[in-house]
Amino acid sequence: MIAENTQTQMRKGILEYCVLLIISRGEIYASDIIAELKQAKLLVVEGTLYPLLTRLKNNGLLSYNWQESTSGPPRKYYMLTEDGKAILKQLDTTWQELAYAINTSKKVADQESKGPINQTES
Amino acid sequence: MKKTHNINIGNSIIHIEEDAYEILTVYLNEVKQHFSKNADDFEIVTDIENRIAEMFAEKLSAQQKQVINVDDVQSVIQQMGSVKDFETSEESPEEQISGPEYNPIKKLYRDTDQAMVAGVCAGLGHYLDIEAKWVRLFTFLTMFIFGSGLLVYIIFWIMVPKAKTRIEKMEMRGEETNLKGFANSSLHPFAEQSRGFIAGFIQAMGEFLQGTGKVIFKIIVGSIVVFASFFLLGTIVALAAFLGFWNSDVHNYFPISMVNEEYLFAMTVAVFIVLIIPLLALILFSIRVGFNGRPINKVLSYGLLLIWLGAVVTGIYYVAKVSTEFKEGAEFAQTTPLKVHPVYSLNINMERFFTKEDSLNYRIDPARYKGRKILNSRDDDFNSPRSISFKIEKSTDGKVSLSTNFKSRGKTFEVALKNAQNIHYDFLQEGATLSFSPVLHIPKMSNWRGQEVELTLSIPVGTEVQISNEFYRYLKGGYNYWDCEREKGAEYTSWIMTDTGVKCKFEKEKKED
Repeated sequence: MIAENTQTQMRKGILEYCVLLIISRGEIYASDIIAELKQAKLLVVEGTLYPLLTRLKNNGLLSYNWQESTSGPPRKYYMLTEDGKAILKQLDTTWQELAYAINTSKKVADQESKGPINQTES
Repeated sequence: MKKTHNINIGNSIIHIEEDAYEILTVYLNEVKQHFSKNADDFEIVTDIENRIAEMFAEKLSAQQKQVINVDDVQSVIQQMGSVKDFETSEESPEEQISGPEYNPIKKLYRDTDQAMVAGVCAGLGHYLDIEAKWVRLFTFLTMFIFGSGLLVYIIFWIMVPKAKTRIEKMEMRGEETNLKGFANSSLHPFAEQSRGFIAGFIQAMGEFLQGTGKVIFKIIVGSIVVFASFFLLGTIVALAAFLGFWNSDVHNYFPISMVNEEYLFAMTVAVFIVLIIPLLALILFSIRVGFNGRPINKVLSYGLLLIWLGAVVTGIYYVAKVSTEFKEGAEFAQTTPLKVHPVYSLNINMERFFTKEDSLNYRIDPARYKGRKILNSRDDDFNSPRSISFKIEKSTDGKVSLSTNFKSRGKTFEVALKNAQNIHYDFLQEGATLSFSPVLHIPKMSNWRGQEVELTLSIPVGTEVQISNEFYRYLKGGYNYWDCEREKGAEYTSWIMTDTGVKCKFEKEKKED
């Protein structure tokens, strides 16, 4: 239960960053975002993305264009605003810091765990 | 063959099968409910709906078909994710834990799947969590209370809709109408539900009626409508009469003569409403059943029911009020000495009391007069309860007298006594002939309060009394009049006072023979 909770929290934290990253490459349709996120195994269902996009848009990080679609209703294509780009930069730095922190912790943990494991193996 | 719906989702028209439609409706409602706490719920839900519409369009063109079925809806839901999936990736963890709780809402429907007649009892059973058979038993028993059970049943039949769709059936059972509930539901969409024998019979009847019997059915329903309408019209005419739209003295008739003038209006209106609303309901229902009329507006139905109940309560209130007018009783006696004769004859004399003037006053047609139970002015037998009694007693002092006992009831003793004193009763002695009025009189426009006159004739032993046939007809004294032989051609029977009471003269002689 605790593991699950932590995993969820971690995914959630990264999700927003990933979404911004994907959108930063250019105008993109929501279900294409989903496809990428699914590949990255960050998200399973589409429904969860819409509230997130709406929130980011309302916070001024995203904007969208309507584009005609051959199948069904017109689609919303999302793109980053200037604010969004600035925030993304900040997040990039944060992510590097985090990655550094994790890597460092992991190295130490690995070294420590290698010792006892090796001992038991031998 | 399946029924399909046309839906407008994301501004495009989609044909969708009924069962798929139900699942989709439930899903979208769940989604809406889930996002309702979000400030941007409308936008989010619109995005989701648009996406669903797009997925439908893709599916239709990919599979070269025109209708969305259950599988399509389920795959779309899977792709979009259920509300549960949304919860695990929700923005704020506190809200996840509480989550939306589904309090299954129970709704009252008629359960035609388990119906005996129209499914009212089965539906009520679901609603009240009682086995349908107990509801049925209760309904059956209350039918004997002036048919109230039947009336209530019919009202429910009219007002409660039938559970048609799966969602309605689940709501009827109080099952959750979300996707989980669908999975758990004891209902299987296409499985034929077992029916009670009678319900099966009624359905078979219905099918029969749809064919050849339809005409007969319509004739029956039509005649019910016609009769009920006549009755309705009659009630309205009666109301008009009661409220005195023309100078009718209907308030002098017995049951109405009990009601005080000041209550008459309210009570009449109450009785009128109590009668007319079920009639109206019957007519509307018959029209609806027989001629596919539109169902009666629910607000109107409940409104009518409320008015009806209000009228019943008002009626009961006034009945209670009137009944207090009968609380106390009072009587007083008046004894008139009579000249002594060896033989008396007792007669009824109507002419004496109904002169031309009286007839005009009281609107009486003396020729048609035959009532013995009339208080005041009308000439029908049923106008008032029997109010004059007569008996013959032995006189111990050798004197002959007639004692008249006036009795009445009233709110207080004083009122009752006053009512008794207001009774006017006439009798006349002409030699040995005693002529009695067949009726007592109370002042015009006063109410019936159980006014009575008890006549007691005291005669010494050996005195003979000849009771005329007419007298007996009006003033029965509890004697076996018809056991007493009449002399040939005589219009009277002869009775003789003995030590042990009055005896029939000729019966006695016969026994001696």
